[in-house]
Amino acid sequence: MEYKYIGKPLPRPDAISKATGKAIYLDDIRIPGMLYAAILSPEYAHAKIINIDTSSAEKMPGVVKVVTGKDCCIRYGDNIADQTPMAVDKVRYAGEPVAAVVAETLEQANAAVEKIKVEYEPLLVYTDAREAMKEDAVLIHEHQEEYKRLPTLKCIPDTNVANYYRLIKGKGEEGFEEADVVVEGEFNYPIGSAAAMEPHGSIVWFKEDQSIECWSSSVCPFIIRQELAHTFDMPVSEVRVHIPEIGGSFGYKSDITVEITIAWIASFVPGRPVKWVATRREDFTSTLSGHGIRTFMKLGAKKNGKLVAIKSKILHSGGAFAETPVNVTITATHNSGGPYEYEHCFMEGYTVYTNTTPVGAFRGYGHPESQFATERLMDMLARKLDMDPFKFREVNYLREGSIVASGEKMWKTNGDVQAAAKKIQEAIFDGDKPEEDEDYYYGRGFAALSKAPKGATFSTKGCYMKMNIDGSVSINMGGAEQGQGLRTVVKQVAAEALQIPPEKIHCYTEIDTQFSPYEWQTIGSMFTVQGGRAVIRAANKLIAILKKTASQVLKADEDMLDYNGEYVYLRNDPSIKVAVKDLARGYITSDGITIGEIAQASADARLPRYSNPDPETGQGTLGVEYTFGAQGAQIRVEKKTGKVIVDHFASSFDIGRVINPLQARGTVLGGVLMGIGAALHEELIYDEQGHQKNPHYGRYRIPKMRDIPPKSTVDFIENPGAVGPYGARGIGEHPFLAVVPAILNAIYDATGIDFYEIPITPEKMKQALADRKENA
Amino acid sequence: MAEKYTFKVNGCERTVEVDADTLLIDVLREDLQLTGTKRGCDNYTCGACTVILNGKAVKSCRTTMDKVQGGEVITVEGVSNGKELHPVQKALVDSGAIQCGFCTPGIVTELVALFDNNPDADEDAILKALNKHLCRCTGYEAIKDGALLAKQLIKERQR
Repeated sequence: MEYKYIGKPLPRPDAISKATGKAIYLDDIRIPGMLYAAILSPEYAHAKIINIDTSSAEKMPGVVKVVTGKDCCIRYGDNIADQTPMAVDKVRYAGEPVAAVVAETLEQANAAVEKIKVEYEPLLVYTDAREAMKEDAVLIHEHQEEYKRLPTLKCIPDTNVANYYRLIKGKGEEGFEEADVVVEGEFNYPIGSAAAMEPHGSIVWFKEDQSIECWSSSVCPFIIRQELAHTFDMPVSEVRVHIPEIGGSFGYKSDITVEITIAWIASFVPGRPVKWVATRREDFTSTLSGHGIRTFMKLGAKKNGKLVAIKSKILHSGGAFAETPVNVTITATHNSGGPYEYEHCFMEGYTVYTNTTPVGAFRGYGHPESQFATERLMDMLARKLDMDPFKFREVNYLREGSIVASGEKMWKTNGDVQAAAKKIQEAIFDGDKPEEDEDYYYGRGFAALSKAPKGATFSTKGCYMKMNIDGSVSINMGGAEQGQGLRTVVKQVAAEALQIPPEKIHCYTEIDTQFSPYEWQTIGSMFTVQGGRAVIRAANKLIAILKKTASQVLKADEDMLDYNGEYVYLRNDPSIKVAVKDLARGYITSDGITIGEIAQASADARLPRYSNPDPETGQGTLGVEYTFGAQGAQIRVEKKTGKVIVDHFASSFDIGRVINPLQARGTVLGGVLMGIGAALHEELIYDEQGHQKNPHYGRYRIPKMRDIPPKSTVDFIENPGAVGPYGARGIGEHPFLAVVPAILNAIYDATGIDFYEIPITPEKMKQALADRKENA
Repeated sequence: MAEKYTFKVNGCERTVEVDADTLLIDVLREDLQLTGTKRGCDNYTCGACTVILNGKAVKSCRTTMDKVQGGEVITVEGVSNGKELHPVQKALVDSGAIQCGFCTPGIVTELVALFDNNPDADEDAILKALNKHLCRCTGYEAIKDGALLAKQLIKERQR
């Protein structure tokens, strides 16, 4: 099918306001009477609070209020209600809010917060799940069994295990009896930070009329609205949440994070809005971090290369609160098999409390962490089987009719991982690799990937569409634009569905829960699929309304009418027609009597048949819309320095339909570079006392312009999906998923060294090369 | 001790009364409500706050007001001419160099200063300038493309 607007490199509707500095982000909002908050972090990562002395702080100039967690009985969380807005009797991580100062200016608040004196009784600190799971470990949450949690979640009482998830398919672990060859390994994906350029922040205002108004740099306005209403005991309708432009998220601005804390602080100064914006340091220490996943994995195959069994155990150092990591663990667990079929699966996931900043969503949500193990082990297993790694994978790829670990049958419309793999093979592995020379080892690596969305069963995206009196269209939705370009997608999909040029379609800018249609939250690479589908559904309803009114005007049955974006006309005689602009507010007849209704429509779209997992076996429709792809790296290892240099990185994804090639390429290149950062230098390091050692860009180094590979290949395959608009699937997280194993497999190819954890810094590489020499 | 500082911002003379150690970023954002200049870090590493001071790209988060006294500041708000975008802005828009947009104002001012000083800046000079800026979204390729396109547009405009 030929598309008029789909597949075209339309410019982003928000690009000009961003290029001119006029786009308004959270910190740019000024409200008359606004106060500023500064938050105190604790001295210890795990300690009882003995006393907080706020008297000196209260006397500082400009101070309006000093707030602590004393007597706070709020417990919140959508999955596990284990969070408090401020530490109450103890602190559980070094970035936890202990007290706050509200002052007339930020400088005054910052000056006063330093005067707060807190007495602590330190407790043992655990920064790693393995330590926190030891039998005699001190409990980070003493009575976690009392927390409200979703019925699908189970803690292990009297331990630091906040949730245990298990999946069994076929004979489970016994399946290994059928295997001729087995490989296993332990892989660690350390804690990282999304480190979006805009630090997180919120403004909360308790108003005299018993309502709350909030602004947040968040991708989940409706969850914030619901939690604020629930926490402060008022109707949801009396809470209004605004989302301005968001300066990047990559996941960590999803779920409810800082908002309830700011609301707790603001509740002490009713009548005045309170703003808090994280410093870069606080963005690292006191919002959400990512990953922290250790994967133990075992794979078994027949001599002919057919995989038979997988066993995986995910240990997630989830941080001090499990509300945000718990679903990351579950997703990491049931997707740990990657894009391959196994008859027998035994997969376990432990979400473990640790004295570190809570882990939240981070681009890929569990997939990159556990599939790091899968893709490294696939290469190792191929080696052990003495098979070509591409051929070995080909035997096992998920395809139409395959059953994934969670029991879902793959459809043809889920796409073609093998086709993506072929593209990478051609791009990276054609011909011979360069011979080792005086300065460098050379290597090439490959990794395939699969991604299931992470939703909630009720997760949906709403769309409201109205036609204006000139035939232009305004669209309003609840999806948060965080840089991913959803506004362009909305425009292009609507243009195609309505057959109206994109210049005549206006896409909403900021979100305001007072006006915006409901959306669960904008996560999981799901906006194009669900949001795009909602746009099409609304467009179809709107066209039906136009036809209904036109049938009265043209005195013909609706099913005799066609629509082309400009006119509704009689199918067998297009000269009998009425302009859509004349139908937009109903049709005004010659004597002024108006017939028909306003051309407006609303619709929503969720993932069809998306389900909760079975509590015993973990089986269920947990994906629905999978996306497959493959990535490959050509690298060099500098002998002298141990530096790994990526010379060419190639990615191919079956995204069903490319809505905007310019935007899709940009998304891929951004995700790939973030993955290169994770593979080679990004790690948020904790000392033994639970303090972050590098909470700033200088030492948590994210890639710069000079770090980009000289050559990048980006390829898309278009086997249309069954759910998304015109067959489109998501692409937001995918480019990040397999970068790490592709590079580590290339490092093995170059040096013969198998790495099991990242990042591969020059120091680690140099050490490994030295060790190899010694052992030779 | 508050002191008076008079300087030009985007062509208009402005006077503010602030402490001597006040940073230019705070004067721009808080006193003059020019919020296009962004704060992305605490220690001069991200480049989001870059503005043009006396023709040179500087980080406004490490520029104290004594360096601004009597000078001329151009922020991202002062780069375009009404609705007509500066070629640097147009090139970044057209190249797909803008995603979340938080790093964009700093990159716009950096490139405007670069090409104002040297319309013939070569690729190495362009990369050197851009390497001062962090972007977490784009993977930089489109920013580089935008910078090269901007150079071309500026040349065409001068012809």
